[in-house]
Amino acid sequence: MQCKDVEEVLEQEGLAPLPEAARAHLAGCRHCQGLLDDLETIVSAAHELPAEVEPPARVWVSLRNQLEAEGIIKEAVAAPAAERPSRWPGLAQFLRGRALATVTVGALIAAAAIVQIRYSGEGLAPGSADSIEPARQVVNDAERDLQNMHLAGTSPVDASLRQNLQQIDDFIADCERHLKEAPQDELAREYLYSAYQQKAELLAVMMDRGRSVN
Amino acid sequence: MITGVTQKGTGLIHGMLLIGAFAAILPSGAAAGAAGERLERHFAVQGRPVVVIQNVANGRIEVKSSKNSEVDVIASQPSNKIDFDMEQAGDRVDITASVVDASAQGVDLETSLQLTVPEETELQLKTETGLIYVEQVTGDMTLESVKGDVHLKEVSGYIIVHTTEGSLVCTQCAGKLDFKSVSGGAQVLQPALNNVSLFTTSGNILFDGDFVRTGLYTMKSGKGLVEVRFSGNDSFDLKAQTTLGTVDNQAAAYFKPDSHSSVKRLASKFTKGIVGTFGAGLAKVELSSYSGTIRILKRD
Repeated sequence: MQCKDVEEVLEQEGLAPLPEAARAHLAGCRHCQGLLDDLETIVSAAHELPAEVEPPARVWVSLRNQLEAEGIIKEAVAAPAAERPSRWPGLAQFLRGRALATVTVGALIAAAAIVQIRYSGEGLAPGSADSIEPARQVVNDAERDLQNMHLAGTSPVDASLRQNLQQIDDFIADCERHLKEAPQDELAREYLYSAYQQKAELLAVMMDRGRSVN
Repeated sequence: MITGVTQKGTGLIHGMLLIGAFAAILPSGAAAGAAGERLERHFAVQGRPVVVIQNVANGRIEVKSSKNSEVDVIASQPSNKIDFDMEQAGDRVDITASVVDASAQGVDLETSLQLTVPEETELQLKTETGLIYVEQVTGDMTLESVKGDVHLKEVSGYIIVHTTEGSLVCTQCAGKLDFKSVSGGAQVLQPALNNVSLFTTSGNILFDGDFVRTGLYTMKSGKGLVEVRFSGNDSFDLKAQTTLGTVDNQAAAYFKPDSHSSVKRLASKFTKGIVGTFGAGLAKVELSSYSGTIRILKRD
């Protein structure tokens, strides 16, 4: 079994008990051990993040009372028992968005840290083409979440963040194109790692900013 | 009141420490609503204070030093859309500018903060678009900005500057400098820095000054120009490498092949570049780019 086969197994089966052949390869391959360590770190970090949960019923009761007290709503609204009231979909979506953003920012920080560890590690093994894959996945997922959050602020800062994100994306595309032709180019790979790290940090800033202004 | 504790990444731990520190906050804190006017506050401190500024507005932050043991703050703004919250807890001074009217735009969001601090002060400054200017301050400092530039003059300590688009100009700085940006550039002029790490994805880098003996200098730009101007008195090992760019060594005649194992070879056969030693090779200088030009010059 080769490195790419192990990576394929990890991609398809995750961290479930690995086949004997994969375990045998791992025992003698530092690169794959590093990849496995990264994956375990991500999973462990993800477990420590707060779960995305529906707000409990008391939140809706408290909100209703507060809104009534402030005269924002005038008619009494029955508090839901187990079901979210249908008249609050926008607010519920807003709160879910915040929970999602919190989880995602946490994941981004973990991804950036992992990229940093790999980038500043003892050197990158030749052929470690996909060792960035787990962090890349987190970053790309976060980018999708960000798009779903519709953070389309018009301030110069929002515009700058979007423009710089585009620059990083272009740079990543450049590096990846080059690495397809020259997969052993370690300097290009270092720049790719750095770009992903910067992208993770930038997405975290954008999400955090989105949460504070939305 | 806990404000200004929204740091990310490695700052999370620091943020937790800040929250702990705030638990012991004295009741001397004062929220200050500066409605279209100038607001002035003075905080007496002992020893080396820590000043934390979180500015969400389009604010310029200027920090200068004096021999007095106090932190003087002058905040000004043309409108009443920004609220300044200033608190002191021992030798820690926190200043937070927050937008009180979400519809405020443009000039309504402009603020400026002018601080005079003791010569030895730690700074944690964060802004979005305004200039950060620090002069003659000694102490560790973390300066963060999205779009605003950072200008430092005669500062020393462990200096961390992170921007998205803002550029850094560091004149006569000493100590350790860590700069990271997406598209901002960095100019380091007449430094006495013994540890420098500059990284930008698309900005330009200029280092014009002496390399301190035994110092470590790393300068990387993905797509921008990396230019180093050294003096005849310097002593350093040099490694300059690029993936798709060019290395323009205008001082090639002064270099001899590297004699130290620490800087031996380029990253791979795909990398173009040079390895060499100037003088006795006491400092270590590493320059790299992905597609930008690396230029090496010796000053007359």
